[in-house]
Amino acid sequence: MYSYFHSFHSEWLKKRRSAASWLTLIGALLVPIVMLISRYDSGGLAAANRLPHLWENLYARSWQFMAIFLLPMGVVLATSLITQLEFRSNAWKQLCTTPQKLTTIFFAKLSVILVMLLQFFLLFNIGIYLEGVLPALAGGITYPTERIPFMALWRANGWFILDCLPIVALQYLLGLYCKNFLVPLGVGLGLYVASMIATQWRYGYIIPYTYSTLEWLGNRSSLSTSHFHVWAAGYSVAFLVLGYILYITKKEKG
Amino acid sequence: MPPTGIPADYLYRMSPFCLETAGLTYRFSRHNIVLDNLDLRVPEGSIYGFLGPNGAGKTTTLRLVLGLLRRQQGRISFFGHPYETSRLATLKKVGSLIESPSIYGQLTAVENLLVWQKIYGCPKDRIATVLEWVGLANTGRKAAGKFSLGMKQRLGIAVALLNDPALLILDEPTNGLDPAGMVEIRALLQQLNHQQGVTILLSSHLLWEMQKLVTYTGIIHQGRLLYQGPLDQLMAKHEGDLETIFIKLTQH
Repeated sequence: MYSYFHSFHSEWLKKRRSAASWLTLIGALLVPIVMLISRYDSGGLAAANRLPHLWENLYARSWQFMAIFLLPMGVVLATSLITQLEFRSNAWKQLCTTPQKLTTIFFAKLSVILVMLLQFFLLFNIGIYLEGVLPALAGGITYPTERIPFMALWRANGWFILDCLPIVALQYLLGLYCKNFLVPLGVGLGLYVASMIATQWRYGYIIPYTYSTLEWLGNRSSLSTSHFHVWAAGYSVAFLVLGYILYITKKEKG
Repeated sequence: MPPTGIPADYLYRMSPFCLETAGLTYRFSRHNIVLDNLDLRVPEGSIYGFLGPNGAGKTTTLRLVLGLLRRQQGRISFFGHPYETSRLATLKKVGSLIESPSIYGQLTAVENLLVWQKIYGCPKDRIATVLEWVGLANTGRKAAGKFSLGMKQRLGIAVALLNDPALLILDEPTNGLDPAGMVEIRALLQQLNHQQGVTILLSSHLLWEMQKLVTYTGIIHQGRLLYQGPLDQLMAKHEGDLETIFIKLTQH
């Protein structure tokens, strides 16, 4: 366990100033910033901040763009970029000759990606909060009167995180296995496009990149929510186990 | 059979070699044998020059002994212990630079070393020491991606030295270095060997450079060791400098 924490710390340092960490920051704050500008521009902020369902509305509008496009694409890119750090830096061979188990390396790197995903969600939610609060702090506009429905929002965030996990697991598998960055990126883009096409298909849930869109569609989708959540969890575990086996049994380690 | 009461691996433990391979064979395919029954023996305290023409199997050997390639046939032991059963303990005592250096381009030299320091658990002040040794103490906030080829190579050597290794494995360590840089690195390696007793295994094409540095040598050609032993014995047995002897051996 001790070596896992050291390994995690080391992996965390590597992503400093990397494209993946910038992507997490910019990707999480992009939608809230655009939405905030749009709120200012459209006027009527004072009235809007007194509406009974202000937070639900802000949340729904922000997630509309995030769930369908930015989240799956961001996860594809960030996961591939993190694993590519080693290939681009010629560092796999150095990493695999450090005194740590390959299992430790596998899970430390995966943990960094998962923590970055949580960081992304946290920043995005802070962004949504600021959408509502910043105009009031800037002055002249009433502070939102509605209390933030924390439990409902956290539950919804939890489902979105689960929806992302199959993408993380598959992109991680591909990123560890393929030296060429275009392979994980190409597969990720391909599956994302396929998931968009398959959204209206009744068996669309079999494509592992569909779930955040289905989450957003909710009752508008022909699938029940719990149904595709089971698929998401199943895919995540299956890709993770497969990725681990492929990584451990790889003939050439670096 | 070892006498009663002596561990089964006693032969390993009695070994005077830092690194030893026995019958090491590696094939890329059925008919493409890269290493053929290689018995490499790196004596403790030596600077071992592993020489061979391009494609002779030097890098494959180094990658195999470090576990970067899966072993197919033969035995590998470090410090008298089989590698398979002592991988983690072995890697704590080994520093390596294989082919091009491993550099995270967006990080500074210090940050690059911090990445490895966390894993090795060595003292933080070791970072300043190794950077001083390789002449990179004053690179400040400059990203390693903007370093010259020689500076990257020096940083790679610093990474290999970070864990205070008992055995240093360097594959073409002077690649990209200017003549002054080569002299500096040679002096550093000699100092490490003489003052700290670090055993060094290095491969290089620069035979005149190796002649000035190594005490022991192994010459490999088409996956087979043609010679292994002290350099002065090799020089005494043949006429000419190391380059002449090397060409003579590898062309027969």
